[in-house]
Amino acid sequence: MTKSNRRRIASLVRHGLLGLWAVIAFFPIYWMVATSFKPDTQWFAWPPVYFPDPPTLANYLNVWFGAEQYASTQYAISSQKPLVSLGNSAIIATASTVLAVLAGSVIAYGVSRYRILSEARMFQLLMLRMIPPIVVVAPLSLYYSAVGLLDTFTGLILVYFLTSLPYAVWMTKSFIDEVPREIEQAAEILGASRWRTMFEIVLPLIRSGLVATFLFILILTWSEYLLALIITKTQVTTVPIELSKYQGSTEGRVYGRQAALAVGITVPLMIVGLIIRRHLARGFSFGMVRR
Amino acid sequence: MTPVLEASASPRELSRARAVARFKWCILAPLVALMALLLLPVLFLQLYFSLHQWTVYLGSWWEAEYVGLDLFAEVLTDPRFGWAVVRSLAFATGSTVGCFVIGFALAYLMRAPFRGHALYYVVFILPMLTVPVVVAYTAEMLLYQSGPINDLISRLAGVEFKPAWLTNPDIALFTVTLLEIWNWTPFSFIILTAGLAAVPREPVEAAEILGASKWRIFWEVELPLLRPVVLLALVLRFLEAMAEFPKTWALLQGGPGTATETLPIYIFLTTWQYFEISKGAAMSYLVMLMMIAIVLAAIALLRREKRSLDAMYGAAAPAAGAA
Repeated sequence: MTKSNRRRIASLVRHGLLGLWAVIAFFPIYWMVATSFKPDTQWFAWPPVYFPDPPTLANYLNVWFGAEQYASTQYAISSQKPLVSLGNSAIIATASTVLAVLAGSVIAYGVSRYRILSEARMFQLLMLRMIPPIVVVAPLSLYYSAVGLLDTFTGLILVYFLTSLPYAVWMTKSFIDEVPREIEQAAEILGASRWRTMFEIVLPLIRSGLVATFLFILILTWSEYLLALIITKTQVTTVPIELSKYQGSTEGRVYGRQAALAVGITVPLMIVGLIIRRHLARGFSFGMVRR
Repeated sequence: MTPVLEASASPRELSRARAVARFKWCILAPLVALMALLLLPVLFLQLYFSLHQWTVYLGSWWEAEYVGLDLFAEVLTDPRFGWAVVRSLAFATGSTVGCFVIGFALAYLMRAPFRGHALYYVVFILPMLTVPVVVAYTAEMLLYQSGPINDLISRLAGVEFKPAWLTNPDIALFTVTLLEIWNWTPFSFIILTAGLAAVPREPVEAAEILGASKWRIFWEVELPLLRPVVLLALVLRFLEAMAEFPKTWALLQGGPGTATETLPIYIFLTTWQYFEISKGAAMSYLVMLMMIAIVLAAIALLRREKRSLDAMYGAAAPAAGAA
């Protein structure tokens, strides 16, 4: 076998395997999108309908805008709740993430330059994230109802802030570590305080890193389910909870509606994820991948 | 610049050290206060409930009867709890290995640039960017017995293929494991891609010059260099899988029967469906201790790897005194 032949076969095998996984990875997403455009007779049809025929916007108009005329009475879901919960999710995810990135970058600066946390403490910080939330969620909800934080924005924001802090510290630290110290030393000689050096020199230098960290944590917070399920009731529904309300309702299987809702809450996440795709590894790697 | 006072420190260095200590506590104090206000009462309440028998049908929770370690004994002798532990470990191990094998294969195949590389990368990370609850509902749309997955496989293979993915108790746990693998293979893929890209060229080239085969270079040169990243991918994935709740809950609520009843699910059912708050708390306590043990072991492992990396490349952040 000649060398070029062998190379061609290798390339064929590679594309075969990668293509196979690409199909497996993409098909469920395609199915979700396709179902969201299907009229109700095709949601559950046999044989399955692979292309919506004719595609319809009825699911979207009904779920997101409560447009009754597009819904057969059986599937009418009339309120505009999803839009409200989308707003709630946006507020909660943004607020807790901004707080986490702010606190995280200040701590990370202290760790990177002044070792305010030892390496052991830095790893212990990960506990906030690694202990499954299920083991504290019941006492947390009792405590929250005692102090009046149950079903409030503040309550959820505080928990999300704490659970995303480890990632925020570790990720921003990886960016701060790359900033040369000479600049800070110059600022120090000119008499700038530590806080000023941090806020006016170092953090502006890593702003793209801060944005990446922000978006990374936003992804994790946006999809959180268990804590939101327990410590919010009716006032502060987030999108994953809103979606789960369509399950097991008396109307039976409302796949098209679910899919329209699912597309709406997944698309923002995918856009954000694709924007920062080059930084995703950094978020997860805790300084273990050297570039 | 070290925060630690040294014996021979001059007054100037002393005042500097004090300033750094002040700086340190300005940063850490609010955080410590928040954790004390939020986490301590929660942990205390959890301990209280695991030592006092209380359900929501009884009166005020602070008047619950003290029962000592009875609840822990009850949980430990509950076969359903034992099975939940087994299921959680099987689910976490299976999905960790699955994510790792597929993620590594993809990362390895994508190592050198080729046409279409960027497109594959984008498609491969999409599953991770899907809300877990959405994954569960989409899985239901795909996996019911006469649904599209069975239909597609039947058509491609030309034979009737009709497993009841969601209703057969023998395979339901396998189904959720597959979902977890689908959802989180991107995570392993991303970490391992970054790890492979960071393998230094020199040792590999040296081995090539010495005439080592590709296979041997991979096993004896590249894989040892990759070890920290491999461990990271395995450990983080395992911990996340142990905590997995949304997909399993939204899709099957632990059913059919108890087929997919992992630890988070069983705790959730005990607390929020059977309203046995105290039993749930005792269970949570045991699971928390177990997870803390696992996390500490994982952290020790990761720290050892990080130290060996630091020794190899020089610490990413030069020691504080060096600045």
